[in-house]
Amino acid sequence: MIEFFQALQTNPILLSAVIAGLAASVVSGIIGSYVVVKRIVFISGSISHSILAGIGLSLWLERAKGFVWISPLYGALIAALISAWILGWIYLHYREREDTVIAALWSIGMALGILFISQTPGSNVELANFLVGNILWVSPTDLKILFGLDLIIVAIVLCMHKRFLAISFDEEQARLQGLRVNALYILLLMLTAVAIVLLIQVVGVVLVMTMLTIPAAIANLFTTSLSRMMIIAVILSALFCFIGTAAAFYLDWPGGATIALVAGVVYVISLFVQKK
Amino acid sequence: MAEEKLESVVALDNVNFAYNGTPVLKNVSCQVFDGEFVGIIGPNGGGKTTLLKLIMGFLTPSSGTVRVFDQPPCNVISKLAYVPQTNRFDKQFPISVLEVVLLGRLQNLPWHGRYSKEDKEAAFAALRKVGLEHLADQAYGTLSGGQAQRVLIARALASHPSLLLLDEPTASVDAKVQVEIYDLLKELRGNMTILMVTHDLNVAIEHVKKVICVQNTVMTLSPRDVCEHFALGLYHTPLITGLTTHKKLPQ
Repeated sequence: MIEFFQALQTNPILLSAVIAGLAASVVSGIIGSYVVVKRIVFISGSISHSILAGIGLSLWLERAKGFVWISPLYGALIAALISAWILGWIYLHYREREDTVIAALWSIGMALGILFISQTPGSNVELANFLVGNILWVSPTDLKILFGLDLIIVAIVLCMHKRFLAISFDEEQARLQGLRVNALYILLLMLTAVAIVLLIQVVGVVLVMTMLTIPAAIANLFTTSLSRMMIIAVILSALFCFIGTAAAFYLDWPGGATIALVAGVVYVISLFVQKK
Repeated sequence: MAEEKLESVVALDNVNFAYNGTPVLKNVSCQVFDGEFVGIIGPNGGGKTTLLKLIMGFLTPSSGTVRVFDQPPCNVISKLAYVPQTNRFDKQFPISVLEVVLLGRLQNLPWHGRYSKEDKEAAFAALRKVGLEHLADQAYGTLSGGQAQRVLIARALASHPSLLLLDEPTASVDAKVQVEIYDLLKELRGNMTILMVTHDLNVAIEHVKKVICVQNTVMTLSPRDVCEHFALGLYHTPLITGLTTHKKLPQ
């Protein structure tokens, strides 16, 4: 462990990896708790995979078309918000086929992303980074944006928490009390989309579901208050990121997969502990 | 309000409603007046819950008009409170009893999302009324059926409604709690107008002033008439069998 702390001091890339992990943990715990209790896990899965379309498009524009100022992070954000909006609209107006649309958006997004990347010279490494994550790959500018997004999400949640709690627990009651349930639902999906973009930096598209659901699911086993669940989930998520990054450093394993595996193992153990 | 005037609280005029082309309610007209305690009875699938949802404005009729406090339902939504059945809720949901009751105070919530002292006092007062103040911090999912139902009633009371709608409040509780809930409703009678969907015809007759029978269409009767109609076999088969089997269940 000492070696890892020494490496943290001497290696700025490793340090920024750990910082990015902490930034992502905040949203993973907070938004993940909503995702679990509102049961929008698969909607989140769809958003996270369709983000690949935005990443692919911006890489293609950057590398093949010469728009050097475009970062994949922008593309990811825009794609995430668009797909959140589409899924919200479907939920509100075409609920009968919601699962089909979730799956369609999921695969169309991925297909577009893969196509764009295939047309971009020398970006297969990037594709792998986005699929399974590469925490070492986060730039200082990205870090600033990640923390900015963190702050925005936390500020909105502080004001809206009671309302999100209401629409998650009992939509009809929320409506009777005059809440704008549909607008709140779309807002929650938008926040989820931004959280997913943050998490993709750390664990990648394929593994983002781990960080969004597992810390919250473990926390749900041990508390009966949504706000406490969020705090526990944030702490768990930060621990997973830290332990996972350290383990990956020693074993020379890919970071995102190691973090996801640590989370998964702890989840299985906690299920057994809770049964007793 | 104090005067005994027959003010119309709910008025349905020639309402039709269909779910995806299947008619559920046909030519429904009925009225409920201020301070009345009304039982809504009828077979499963007869449209009782649909009727409540029309009154709350969650559904819009295919034709006809629904007026609540002489206005379209969406304008007066804050005067209504709804007590759903308890089995709808996720037992794992991390929410305390007090937090559930505070959902009855959402309409006062300021932009920053903190409940005021007044809201908390109203929530505690409502919990006291249903006798569950000591459970305020307990998880809602760990309550018994009767306790959960009473918490939902407390949530409705916390908003100080003028019209209280209940969907089978005694469906998932034992006989003792059933008596408690009816006693509570008796206490509330007069302070607000109450519409209660119920399966239990006997109780309905005993407690309510007026019975609305919903079976695709609506008949408004006084409890006495229900007995006569019942004896004459005027009800359709599903209603009679449904009610008699329910009565035979050990409670």
